Amino acid sequence: MADPAPDPATKTLACPSCGGTIAIRAAGHTVTLVCHYCSSLIDVANPDARLIAEYHEAAQELAIPLGTRGTLRGTEWEAIGFLQRSEGGIGWSEYLLFNPYAGYAWLITDGRGWSLGRMLTVTPRDAGGAMLLDGERYKPFFAGGSARVDYVLGEFYWRVAVGERVRTADFVRPGFMLSRETNDAEETWTLAELIDPREMGTAFGTDLPPAWPGSGRPPMPHQPSPWAGLVGRAWQFAFVAVLALLVLAPILGRGGTSVSETVTLFPEGSERSATIGPIVLTRAKQPVTIRARSDEVRNQWVDLDYALVDRATQASYEAYDIVEQYEGSDSDGRWSEGNRSTASKIASVPAGTYDLVVDLGAHNWTGASSSYAAGIAPVKVTVTVSPGGVFWSNVWLAALLILLPALRMGWQHIRFEASRSGESDVGGSTSDEDDD
Amino acid sequence: MLTVNCPNCGAPVRFRSPALPVVVCPYCQSLVTRIGDEIRAVGKAAVLPFDVSPIRIGTTGRDGDRAFEVIGRVRWGWSDGSWNEWLLLFTDGSHAWLGEAMGLYMLLAERPPASGDAGVSRIAAGGEAILGTRMTIDGQMLAVSDIREASCIAAEGELPFRAPPGWTVYSVDLRGEGSACATIQRDAGETSLYLGRYVTLAELRPQGLRAIEGWAMPSFT
Repeated sequence: MADPAPDPATKTLACPSCGGTIAIRAAGHTVTLVCHYCSSLIDVANPDARLIAEYHEAAQELAIPLGTRGTLRGTEWEAIGFLQRSEGGIGWSEYLLFNPYAGYAWLITDGRGWSLGRMLTVTPRDAGGAMLLDGERYKPFFAGGSARVDYVLGEFYWRVAVGERVRTADFVRPGFMLSRETNDAEETWTLAELIDPREMGTAFGTDLPPAWPGSGRPPMPHQPSPWAGLVGRAWQFAFVAVLALLVLAPILGRGGTSVSETVTLFPEGSERSATIGPIVLTRAKQPVTIRARSDEVRNQWVDLDYALVDRATQASYEAYDIVEQYEGSDSDGRWSEGNRSTASKIASVPAGTYDLVVDLGAHNWTGASSSYAAGIAPVKVTVTVSPGGVFWSNVWLAALLILLPALRMGWQHIRFEASRSGESDVGGSTSDEDDD
Repeated sequence: MLTVNCPNCGAPVRFRSPALPVVVCPYCQSLVTRIGDEIRAVGKAAVLPFDVSPIRIGTTGRDGDRAFEVIGRVRWGWSDGSWNEWLLLFTDGSHAWLGEAMGLYMLLAERPPASGDAGVSRIAAGGEAILGTRMTIDGQMLAVSDIREASCIAAEGELPFRAPPGWTVYSVDLRGEGSACATIQRDAGETSLYLGRYVTLAELRPQGLRAIEGWAMPSFT
C-alpha cells in the first residue's frame, strides 16, 4: 500500500463564545477545551462544540506556552493542556503532553524541578504500605490528601473542571514518584521520573530551578541525594585505606636487630651508666624504640636518661623514661599503679652505627599509705634498643584524615535526607533511606 | 477472499473472512452484509469524525509471533468522550480488537460468554455492574473499573457485526492483575465478552501507520 500524503495533525474550531479559532491537537481524544482567548470551557466530546461555561478572561502566561514541543527521553511531546492544582494551599502545575504515536504524558512541577509522568496500565502491588512496581519498591511519602483543580487551559481527554477534587497518595524511590489518584469512578496510577533541569531547559526552554540547599526549600520528595551514590563508596574506600594503614604501619616500621642489656642498681644508691651497642641503622631515616622493663620495682621508680650517640659523628638523640610501680591500700581497698615496662621512641634517626648511653637511678617511694616498705634489695632493669617503631598517634591521626571526607559526605547525605523527608506526612518511614 | 460490487454504488467491496460478514463500503459508507451468497446493503454508516489516531485500515503488526492486519474499525462515543476499536485479522483467520482510548491500547479477543463466572452472567442477564466488583473470566480475576452506555458513532472496513450509527451498548470495563483487562458489551439482544491486556504500540511492531503532518513517525522494528 502506497503511503498517502500525511493527514493533518489538528482540527480547528471556532470558539462558541468569542469566535476565536482554536486548534484541537488531540482530535478524537479531546473532550474538554479551554479557549485560550476568552478562557471559556467548551465541550468537544460530540461533533458540535458546546459551551459549558462562558468566561471573558485573558489566559495565564505559562512557563511552557501551549503548543510548545520538546523532546524528552527520545520522544517529541507537544504541550496541549495546563492544570494548576493545589492541596492544602500548596500548589503545583501539570502540563498535559501529547504525541499521536506515543499518547499522553505529564510534565509536573512545583517550582523545585520537573518530572515526566506516564499513566500506568498495570496496578502496583501493595507490600505492607510500600508499593511494588516492576521489582522496584516505592516508599510512602504523602499518605493521603485531596487535590483540587484551580485553573485549566488547553485541551483534555476528560471532563476537566475547576474545583474538581481527587484523593491522592504518593510513593517515592530516588528519582521516581508513584502517584495514585482516586475518585468515585476510578483509580489511576502515574509514574513520574525526575528530569534533569538542564535537560528540561534544552527540551522546553524552562529556567533552571534553584537547587537545594540554596533554594530555601526542602529537596523534592523523589529527589535523589547527590551524596547517595558516593557515601557508600567513600566509606568503602576509607575503610580499606585505614585497614591498609593499620596493617602496613608495623610492617614498614620494622627495623633491624635489637640489642639488650640488663643493669643491676641499688635503690637510693649511686646512679649507674650503661652503654648498649652497637645498633646499626640502615635506612636514611628511621625511628628507634627503646624499651625498659623491671619486674622487681615495688613502690620504687627508676629514672632512665637515654642518649643515642652516633659513633662516627657523636651526634646525640636524647629521651627520658621512667619504670615505676606503687601500691598500697586506702578506704577503697588495695590499689596499685605505674608501669614496670615502658617504651620511648626517638623519631627520624639517620643511618649509622650507634651506642645507647643509659643513665639509671633507682628510688624508693615513701607514700604515707604504703603498706610495703621498699627495701634495699638490688633492682634489675633490662633495656632493649630496637631500630624501627610505629608512632601510633600519627597513625590514628592519618586514619582520621582518611575518614574525614566520608564522614563529611555522610553528614551531608543525612542532612539532605532529613530535609527531604521532613515534608512527608508518613511517620518516619522514609528516613531510613539506604546509602546506595 | 470474496470481492463483490456494492449493491448501493457498485464500487468493489472485499470480504476476507466468512467470520466477518459486514463491510462498510469505502465509497458510499453503505453497510454491506453477506449472508451465504446473498449480498445486501442494510443502511449507512456515518462518516468518521476526524481524529489523530496513528492506526488506519491496512496497518500491520504482530502480537508475539502472530501477524495481523487492521481491517476494520468501530468508533464508540459516550457522554464523556469517544474511543476506537480496531479490528485485527490474524493470518490464521482469527480476529481480535485493539481498543484505543486516552492514548492507551488494549488488545482484546472475544471469549464465549460461558468463560465468565456468575458475575458476568448476571450482567449478561441484564443486571447492573458495580464498580470494584470482582469477576473471573477464563480463570482470571478482574475487577470492574468503568461502566458506561456507549453508542456507535461510525464504522469503517470489515466487521464481524453490523454497527449502525446510534447502536447503543452497555459497556463494562474490567482490570486484572498486571496489564490484564476485559470488556463486557451488552445490547438489547446479546452480550459479548472480550479478554486481553494493555499493550503498547511499540510491542505490536506496527508497520504502515498513518502519517500525521508535523510528527515524525517512529519506526517500530
